[in-house]
Amino acid sequence: MAETHHPNYKKIYLTLLVLLVISIAGPFVGIGWVTLITAFGIALVKADMVVQNFMHLKWEKPIIRYLLGASVLLMILFYGAIATDVQKHEGKNWSNDAAKAAVARGIPGAHHEGGAPEEAAPEPAPEPVATPAAAPAEAPTFDAAGAFATSCAPCHGAAGAGDGAAAAALNPKPANFTDPAFWSSRGDAEIFKAIREGGAAVGRSSTMPPWGSMLDSTRTAAMVGYLHTLKK
Amino acid sequence: MSSKPIATSRSATGIPTGRLAVWWVLASEVVIFGGLLASYVMHRLGHPEWHAAAAVTNTWIGAFNTFVLLSSSFTAVLAHQAAEHGDGKGAARYLSYTILGAITFICVKAFEWTTEISHGYTISSNGFWQFYYTAAGLHALHVIAGAVIMAFVARDAARGRELHRVELIGIYWHFVDVVWIFLFPLLYIAK
Repeated sequence: MAETHHPNYKKIYLTLLVLLVISIAGPFVGIGWVTLITAFGIALVKADMVVQNFMHLKWEKPIIRYLLGASVLLMILFYGAIATDVQKHEGKNWSNDAAKAAVARGIPGAHHEGGAPEEAAPEPAPEPVATPAAAPAEAPTFDAAGAFATSCAPCHGAAGAGDGAAAAALNPKPANFTDPAFWSSRGDAEIFKAIREGGAAVGRSSTMPPWGSMLDSTRTAAMVGYLHTLKK
Repeated sequence: MSSKPIATSRSATGIPTGRLAVWWVLASEVVIFGGLLASYVMHRLGHPEWHAAAAVTNTWIGAFNTFVLLSSSFTAVLAHQAAEHGDGKGAARYLSYTILGAITFICVKAFEWTTEISHGYTISSNGFWQFYYTAAGLHALHVIAGAVIMAFVARDAARGRELHRVELIGIYWHFVDVVWIFLFPLLYIAK
């Protein structure tokens, strides 16, 4: 222990704070690659300063560097082995339809389900009054055809004939809503359940994802109604 | 200084056994956090739509917590320095500042998460929030564990006992700081 070095910690600490300020200021420049450097380049510099000086790796025996280096190498190996499969959503013989659908339906930014009660909360209005008032206000804004085009059409096809872009890779094939056999083999309740809870919930293909987190029962019913219009 | 010969001296590597053990813990932690963050990065790159969710996180809260952790690391290393000079009371005082930093960090985190959850951003909202709560949550557990262990180390140090442990908990604490140094740009700056 006698050999332990103590650099000027105050100087290192102040440098770290300056680097922190730069990493916060980076995005305000508004240039993508600048932000990349100020965020991740500086994170690497900060981490190195902490590891070398505060954790005393600089003065530690080399074996510790090999030990930590081996762990970091494992992490890089893990990333290198898996990243292409995760970052890409299709290859020559495969297609990640769930990921494609997730990208297609996106994430609502400013608007969100939980926001409505939060905004309503400051006014001590009686709950029963607020709820029915909110529901009809939202219903007309829901565009079932638009939702079908963005979320369902990639597999089920623009006209619902089960011939979407991703359909070729799927087995069993996506349901064909234009086919009378589809409608004679199941009722609205099952379709409703399949949309909300996924195909597996009604004993069919689990490739059909559950949409219940995006579609409440009113919207799901609207979707079922829209599917009826595709019938030939 | 050494009351526990095994923890302070006996080692084939020439590194005190206690410290070597901490490094092994950290080597395994690198794999745990590294795997988690590498998974996050590859999913983030595969999901351009996540930026809409990432835009919601509060950069200022993340920056403030970075400041808190950097400061707590600074006091932790000062505690180490004091302990090496045989100043157990000083080490305990600096460690208590670090514990204060840990408590501040957790309180800010609690406030931040409460706000986000009440706005409907929960761990089941989508992939981004799953990683957000998992990574920051696992990190927060490390902060809590570190603060608890540090309280025991500080109690002993104040009585001039087991001073070598001040360095050991410090090394662990700096690692927790380093993890946050990477979490901050990954979750808060990359919008």
